[in-house]
Amino acid sequence: MKVKPQACLEIEVDLVAVATGDAEGAVRGRVEDHIGFCAACRGDFQRYREIDGVVGALRRSPADGEGAVRARETLESRLADLRSRLMMYGVFPSPLGNILIARSEHGVSLVEYLGERTGFKSSRLSQVGGVEAQEDGVEVEALYRELLDYLHGTRTRLEWPLDLRLARSDFQRAVMKATVAIPYGAVASYAGIASDVGNRSAVRAVAQALRWNPLPIVVPCHRVIGSSGSLTGYAGDKLSLKMQLLGVEGVPTLTAHRDRRVARDAMYVRDRHEVEYCLPICGSLASRTLADLTLFASRERAESAGLAPCSACRPDLHPLSA
Amino acid sequence: MMGAQPFETIVTAHHAEIFRYLRRVTSRTSEAEDLSQETFLRAYRAYRTLTPEANVRAWLFAIATNLTRNHFRSEKRRRVAYAFAAVEQRDTDPDGPEAEALFTEARGLLETTVRGLPLKQRVAFTLRKMHDLDYETIGRSLDCSAESARAHVFQALRKIRVSLNGHQLPQMEPSR
Repeated sequence: MKVKPQACLEIEVDLVAVATGDAEGAVRGRVEDHIGFCAACRGDFQRYREIDGVVGALRRSPADGEGAVRARETLESRLADLRSRLMMYGVFPSPLGNILIARSEHGVSLVEYLGERTGFKSSRLSQVGGVEAQEDGVEVEALYRELLDYLHGTRTRLEWPLDLRLARSDFQRAVMKATVAIPYGAVASYAGIASDVGNRSAVRAVAQALRWNPLPIVVPCHRVIGSSGSLTGYAGDKLSLKMQLLGVEGVPTLTAHRDRRVARDAMYVRDRHEVEYCLPICGSLASRTLADLTLFASRERAESAGLAPCSACRPDLHPLSA
Repeated sequence: MMGAQPFETIVTAHHAEIFRYLRRVTSRTSEAEDLSQETFLRAYRAYRTLTPEANVRAWLFAIATNLTRNHFRSEKRRRVAYAFAAVEQRDTDPDGPEAEALFTEARGLLETTVRGLPLKQRVAFTLRKMHDLDYETIGRSLDCSAESARAHVFQALRKIRVSLNGHQLPQMEPSR
């Protein structure tokens, strides 16, 4: 190959740019000056113009339409699959220690007490199959704010759409749905929930289902107590959590025989089949056990659950002393 | 829960072009299918963190380019793609008018040359000449400066010119 003169070497980049429509005015002037007197570069320039023409034609030539349609269809179904698997989570500090909150497109999926831990790896979320977890605090920030308000006693309802897919069975889902119905500031029993899900004898199964509740606080398993009134269930160190949450909601508790229980005498009572609430000494409750009752921390709580005062014992005229 | 506009509108607006781009730089429909799906799945995961003023199109091209580069990091894949490119020539229509035959031949040669280019040159050339991206954006996709991106396109054009030596080229409209 012949060696090009220095001037031609120096202008080559600009020459290609101008010939292929990729240069500004000043550059164009210089290139035009050069090819005005350099025949070799003029030939090059012409050749690059021709190439540019073929490039333009290639660019305008039709795409592989069929492949694109097929790719798009497959993409739609893979996107739908990803959507259903994707969960966004954040880890936040709270008065109960660190809390992990996860949500999917269906609703809130997991609330987990992490205590001192902060890592995703220590979370149940990292062990669930078929889920793609993605840290995204912004997505669950609003849920966290509401949760904090609740823990500070300034919010009585967490009306989040629930994603119950992390529940382990249909039975557990049924138990969770029944538990959600227990109002703020009220308690019911495991036996009562067992009745709600249509199996009065499944008390232990209900307790197990709530023990693995993937949505504590949101699905208020702390409002479910033993038939003796004892705060069983929140195993081990979690018992103090249960007390704390009931405390936030104003449910009175006391210690009796080294056992923590709700103060039944200080709570209003509803028979599960009635739409009225009573004083604990009401005659209509004589034969009832806790399995059939819901207890309310105050008249206000009972009435905001839509109940009227009992016309026999008249809790409205003789309220319990606070 | 989603960003400014639903993700579907992004798929609708850009899928066809991203697919064409990947078809061009990978030379194979099957790879373009896989990589375009992967591009949009990745984009979906990150979409919520995208700022409203972001250039979605440039962002998708950057994701697609990254995936392509990872894809061809395997030497074997590169060789397979190249071998495939060599045989997947468009047939020339023997009965067509002479100018069209000339064009078809030139286009085939051009495509083959582009397929044989080093990946960065191939990508830079395709993004610039086929999809009109500016050099800043191309540089960001390739983790290099706008100047390097321009140099890649220049090198690509030079090689194309050499490979078309001795071939008569049709007179066409300029590319822009």
